[in-house]
Amino acid sequence: MRCTMMVFASLLAMSGWAVAATPPTKAPAAVKAATPAPQVHVIVVDTMQYGPMPTGVRAGDIIEWVNRGILEHTATARDGRFDLDLKPGASARMKATAGTVEVYCKFHPTMVATLVVK
Amino acid sequence: MKKSLFALAIALAFGTVASVQAQPAPAAATAPATIDDAQIAHIAYTAGQIDVTAAKQALKKSHNKAVLAFAEEMARDHAAVNEQALALCKKLGVTPADNPTSQALAKAAAAEQVKLAALSGDAYDKAYAANEVAFHQTVNQALSGTLIPSARNEELKSLLETGLKLFESHQMHAEHLAQSLK
Ligand SMILES: [Cu+2]
Repeated sequence: MRCTMMVFASLLAMSGWAVAATPPTKAPAAVKAATPAPQVHVIVVDTMQYGPMPTGVRAGDIIEWVNRGILEHTATARDGRFDLDLKPGASARMKATAGTVEVYCKFHPTMVATLVVK
Repeated sequence: MKKSLFALAIALAFGTVASVQAQPAPAAATAPATIDDAQIAHIAYTAGQIDVTAAKQALKKSHNKAVLAFAEEMARDHAAVNEQALALCKKLGVTPADNPTSQALAKAAAAEQVKLAALSGDAYDKAYAANEVAFHQTVNQALSGTLIPSARNEELKSLLETGLKLFESHQMHAEHLAQSLK
């Protein structure tokens, strides 16, 4: 699927330019502090499913949803705490809040996942 | 559930493929004994186009928010997958080939469009939703039972498999929609 990969790559690149609010994923600075710095956890959405949910997510960490597919999806919390629209090639960030959240796609009800935030 | 004529016509159309597949090719057969990738691509593309056309009709006719949102999703998703399918065909040097199954599908869909055009309001919304359930159900069966197992090219097979996941999701969404309109 070389062509497809190129399309995805260019879509991602384009979205990187277009979505100025989303800075590139960077490892948190190695500052020694009493409380651990917030981490960034990337969840990839592709071929009609959510990728593996990250483990060890703590309240205050950043979750970045990256849509690598050709279809528009959402990452929507069943309890209403977040509702992110993910256009093809786009990504969106949010701050994690403590709890176990059922996540689904508003367009594709077969897409479900469980996100655990400590 | 009440099966629409459309669903039956489509089932028959795919049934033709299935039975042709099942039969050993007679020595002097004029019809092809199996469907090839060019025909499979054409059938999958036709199924997508049919749903886009039905969605466009819904966007013109319906005033129901849930129906309109569903129709927008169908038009968007199937257009995206079909674009991908065309790009793949181009890459593989395959020209989608028209065939009796595609023709039967298109004919049944055109007849259904005429029927739906005559309805309005709640009656239209319900008929559209019921038809979408039946359509996706039938295409799912064709994808998993005939088209995916028959596909020879791995990339085509993989695209059809993603298509199946999408159609299954749409079927569930259509079922929720039909339920909400009762
Ligand atoms: Cu989705």
